[in-house]
Amino acid sequence: MDGIVGMGMVAIVAVVLLYGLHRAVSVLAQPLTVLPAQSGWIPQEHALSRYHVRWYLASIVFLAFDVEMLFMYPWAIVVAEKGISAVIEMFLFLGALLVAVAWAWREGAFRWV
Amino acid sequence: MGMTAIIAKLAVRAVRVLIVEVPGQWLTRVELEDQMLRRGWRRAWAPADADVLAVCGTPGPELTPLVDRLWEQMPGPRVRANMCSSSTVSSALNDAATLYVDTDQHAKDARERAQEPQIPHDDMDHSGHGSHDHSGMEDSGHDHMSHSGHDGMDHDNHTGMHHNGHGEIDHSGADHMNHSGNDSMDHDEVDHDSHADMHHNGDDHMDHSGHNGHGGMDHSGLEDSGHDHSGHGGMDHSGHGGMDMSPGGIPLAQGGPDRDGLEMDVLHLPLGPVLAYWPAGLVLDCTLQGDVVVDSEASIVDGRDHEHSLHVFAPDLRAALLCDNVMALLALAGADDLAARARQARDCLLRGDHTAALDRLERLIRTIRRSWLLRWSLQGVLVLEQVDLHRHSLPASCRGDAYDRMLRTLARIQAAVGGAGPMIDDDVSWQVLPNLVTGLELATLRLAVASVNLRLHPTTQGGKA
Amino acid sequence: MTDSGLVTVSAGWAVVAGAILCSLAVFAIALDTGLTARAQGARGGWTTIAGRFARLLRQRRRTTVAADTMLWRAGGVGMFIGAFFMVAVIPLGQWTLADLDVGVVWLNTIDVLVWALVWLTGWGANSTYSLIGGYRFLAHGLAYELPLMFALVAPAIAAGSLNVGAVAAAQDDDLWFVVWMPVAFLIYLIGVMGFSVWGPFAAAVATDITGGAGTELSAVDRLVFHAGRYLFLAAGAAFSVPLFLGGGAGPWLPDWTWVLIKTLAVLAVLVWSRRKIPLMRPDRFMTIGWTLLLPAIVVQDLVVSVLVVWKG
Repeated sequence: MDGIVGMGMVAIVAVVLLYGLHRAVSVLAQPLTVLPAQSGWIPQEHALSRYHVRWYLASIVFLAFDVEMLFMYPWAIVVAEKGISAVIEMFLFLGALLVAVAWAWREGAFRWV
Repeated sequence: MGMTAIIAKLAVRAVRVLIVEVPGQWLTRVELEDQMLRRGWRRAWAPADADVLAVCGTPGPELTPLVDRLWEQMPGPRVRANMCSSSTVSSALNDAATLYVDTDQHAKDARERAQEPQIPHDDMDHSGHGSHDHSGMEDSGHDHMSHSGHDGMDHDNHTGMHHNGHGEIDHSGADHMNHSGNDSMDHDEVDHDSHADMHHNGDDHMDHSGHNGHGGMDHSGLEDSGHDHSGHGGMDHSGHGGMDMSPGGIPLAQGGPDRDGLEMDVLHLPLGPVLAYWPAGLVLDCTLQGDVVVDSEASIVDGRDHEHSLHVFAPDLRAALLCDNVMALLALAGADDLAARARQARDCLLRGDHTAALDRLERLIRTIRRSWLLRWSLQGVLVLEQVDLHRHSLPASCRGDAYDRMLRTLARIQAAVGGAGPMIDDDVSWQVLPNLVTGLELATLRLAVASVNLRLHPTTQGGKA
Repeated sequence: MTDSGLVTVSAGWAVVAGAILCSLAVFAIALDTGLTARAQGARGGWTTIAGRFARLLRQRRRTTVAADTMLWRAGGVGMFIGAFFMVAVIPLGQWTLADLDVGVVWLNTIDVLVWALVWLTGWGANSTYSLIGGYRFLAHGLAYELPLMFALVAPAIAAGSLNVGAVAAAQDDDLWFVVWMPVAFLIYLIGVMGFSVWGPFAAAVATDITGGAGTELSAVDRLVFHAGRYLFLAAGAAFSVPLFLGGGAGPWLPDWTWVLIKTLAVLAVLVWSRRKIPLMRPDRFMTIGWTLLLPAIVVQDLVVSVLVVWKG
């Protein structure tokens, strides 16, 4: 654990050093406020908005699988001692999920244009 | 030598250049790219990353404010390098390098420049996009303002309606919006029915077409005003209410209906004119929902200035120009090495070295044919079948997808350089673009635009070299 | 603490580990610069790298109108810091900074963090190109992340442990995992390019959207964000060594040298592959990820677990 905290400290010190160095050598330390880049046009509205996430269906399928990983990691440690029954159980489960993926694919969940 | 001087000396080896290409000045840009390579300078994609603003050519009245605004967006140290023709590129870059290392000057500039952007407050739509929407309308003869029944209408009146238009519509009474012939709007040529038609057909379209806020209220106003005066009041208020909810002087995004029946915010993003690997001078005003372009409108900056230029049509230049297009497509597809080879072939052609050019072209084509990943990446991008060609009156060379078109273009270059005679000029008119690309995802759209050889103005980009 | 047989060194050695990580990233940048220069027939070399560093230090920082500054900077700085956390559990020969029982899951944790970091960088700038870039990364993530997780599980199944040292030790008197789980190794490398926003997976910071999530970054803010991408690439390459390439195993040289040599080799392959593979557009890769990579890696895991039980 100490090692991880140590790495974090090293990284933070490195970032602080970089920002400090920048303050020392940049033409001016205070940031400039500008308009967002749009080939020089003034933006018609703020970009921060309800972005239309076209792949929302894919993200739902992802969630189903992602939760499954909670079982997969502990299972990986014990599979050798539990034997073939653990393998069958896990891969039947995964197989069912893959069937769901195949169905989602057929429904066009992974296409969004 | 002090610390700052050492830093500056190192930094000048890695300068990033934001390139502004005035339409017709592609040869200047080519020379600039060559000089940049020799110095180890690289291209910046956005002003945030740029140290030098290189303006190839003399910007016209519409491009000038955009270039100025890009200049305002550069963080500094910033240097502006104007190069009116390819012969001045070298000296302009030398000057830029000298200016770039002058740290004191840059510190002074940083302190003295405007620290906040200037956003015109009175009317966003007009000052920001108005000016280029308007040019678009003039050039393209508003095909995007409505699909039907519009031709009888005088363009100037129409633009007038849109620009100072608001004021007029709001304040000078309902009377003049009456469809049954009124003088103040000069609608005489538009008969009642077709005008009504325009509102109803144009309805969706105007909603998307880059007049957000004002677009919305505009035609609700128009529809109402056709019948009574009181509609105006409502329109006026909604309009200004919108303005008040504008943090930093920029309105918030508004919702728009979606194909899936959801209401999601739409964003307006003009692509071009200052955009890497994008046809110079072209502006495609996109309305985005997510990363999908749901509507677009094309125009050309300073379109009128170039009408008088001569139509120079040297075969080598044309082959080099097509090579340049292929380079852009490859670069956008992320095939940097292949793009570099296309660039080398282009430069050989411009030097008149046919043997070297043929050799490079041959190797390029061979590698492209072998790369199944590149084929996978470009396949299915803007597929045009015979019916589509017919519908949009496109030349036969556009048939197929982006991959087909790229190989076909390369084969044509090869044939022309090999002595098969001059190439036919069958470039595609830019006006047709919105019909082709609306509905595509943004990355696909960039590839699609790069995959057709566009004629941007009557000159082609032959230049006067 | 565990049966990995590793020596946990004191936290002070984190400075050395950090320096090694940074050197690896500089190596990656140098190699990429050199290869690019060669392809273009341009000037390149070491001075260019120092020049790039100096240029960004000298540049002025900027912020956009009504930007979400805190989230924006958190994203950029987080990219830099995240990679340091990732390498904390990688053993260098027999030494390690943190002998975590769940080291493999730790890698997974940090790499999922990148989703947030890249997205925040894209979101915070209040710029359309930047926002599109941020969301592009999430779309990529949806497609590469699951195959990556299953690829991480494969060595863990074979070793019967999630401890990185134990996974490396399990290959000691045996075949390296890369030999009998090549699909997992390949998909792991794809995942590394994914969470480093690198090469074919750089669509989120691509040219066509003027640099995407990084469009509005300048000066040191840009430096930490893009340096973070290279650091992650280096960290991912280093992690592949204990997971698939036998850790410090190798003749003649001490084991820590072998870890570094193997890391450099993997890193070089990752850097070089950018030149051969075009951009994977998120909308295209979504289908590939779910219909090709995912079934392939599940079959790989099945093969691995059956073999383990068989030998078991």
